Amino acid sequence: MTQGPDRDIPAGEYVLGLLDGGEKDAFERRMAGDAELDAAVARWQARLAPLDATAPSVEPSKGLWQRIEGGLDGATARRQPAAAKAAPDSRFARWWNDLRLWRGAALAGAAAAVLLAIGLVAALERARRQPVMVAVLLTDTNSAAAVVNTFADGRVELLPLQDIPVPQGRALEIWTLWDRAAGPRSVGLIDRARAVSLRLENLPLGTDQLFEITVEPAAGSPTGRPTGPIVAKGLTARRL
Amino acid sequence: MAVHAAHSHGADIEQALAACAGGDKNALRRIYDQECPRMIGVAQRMLKRRALAEEAVQDSFILIWRHAARFDPQRGSGLTWIYAILRNRSLSILRDERRMETDDGPVATEAASEEDDPETVMAKLSDAEALRGCLDALPAPRRGMVLLAFVQGLSHGEIAGKLGMPLGTVKSWIRRSLIALKECLG
Repeated sequence: MTQGPDRDIPAGEYVLGLLDGGEKDAFERRMAGDAELDAAVARWQARLAPLDATAPSVEPSKGLWQRIEGGLDGATARRQPAAAKAAPDSRFARWWNDLRLWRGAALAGAAAAVLLAIGLVAALERARRQPVMVAVLLTDTNSAAAVVNTFADGRVELLPLQDIPVPQGRALEIWTLWDRAAGPRSVGLIDRARAVSLRLENLPLGTDQLFEITVEPAAGSPTGRPTGPIVAKGLTARRL
Repeated sequence: MAVHAAHSHGADIEQALAACAGGDKNALRRIYDQECPRMIGVAQRMLKRRALAEEAVQDSFILIWRHAARFDPQRGSGLTWIYAILRNRSLSILRDERRMETDDGPVATEAASEEDDPETVMAKLSDAEALRGCLDALPAPRRGMVLLAFVQGLSHGEIAGKLGMPLGTVKSWIRRSLIALKECLG
């Protein structure tokens, strides 16, 4: 077992919870690609585990299990489908492939928008709970039009960040796409840009999942698939 | 890797995690029945407020369920894996709450219970644990820093503030304590 101080000290500081946001993120990325660093972390976790056993037992509130159980259906183990290939002729494939080009440009805007979104959540509903994943939906000029926040209990919400013009007799429909084979699914319909809970009860939800807003007839797309222009789109990413 | 007395049902946990990965909710419930009270205790030492501690535990069970297939028994015990998830989640809530300043005021302003003091924690640590002897071998102020970080989730800066010491000194003392603990524990 090789275990130099170059790995053991940062691994120990990480397990003690002493790395701050940026350092912690960089460390976790390093750990994902460095088996020895991961092993150093595992050793510290095992060494310090007896301290967790000294914590007092606190009887859970009534209903805690029910709250956990209620969150499971929205969180069943999911695998992202393997990287999409082929079918270059479908419209959905073009969005999907196109998004990979968007990512670089999106990151800069996303960082600012995530902060804004967290602020909005606090201001709008004083939500104590923080989103687990966030998707920043960008317009074709790369301005942040809305964010989608997903929560550990399975709730998913869309918060607009700017007004979106909606022609008379039309509405904004929100879609998600987790697998090109399954195609996009409608998860919400709003008459104008406003905060809304999205309906993903039985749909998968993971990172790099597409959300987008299109302009559709007032009653929603007649085909069950997006038919109108795309207003904004973005991929989910896990919050730090 | 040492298995401590209070956690004698390690193998049950690992079986339960394997069952969770297969979609068995009863297995998650077994983990809950066995560990939930202690998990709330661990989270509450960091988060102080009961409601936040339960929130951390709730999130952790959902993460355990979602990621059970990723648990690797080669890497460590099932209990250690579960508590690592809980600690990670609790730290995230702790740091976020400090930024957000909710109506109730930031968590950091709330006093830690005396029960969470480093020396009280030491007294509760089983004599049978090698960790007890190795922590005892550290000078008390250094031991205190390690425990304030791990048990209460304090940052370098908060430890420095609490002990009235320069930040650089706290950082280097904790590093030296880690080296000593590693040598002592192997």
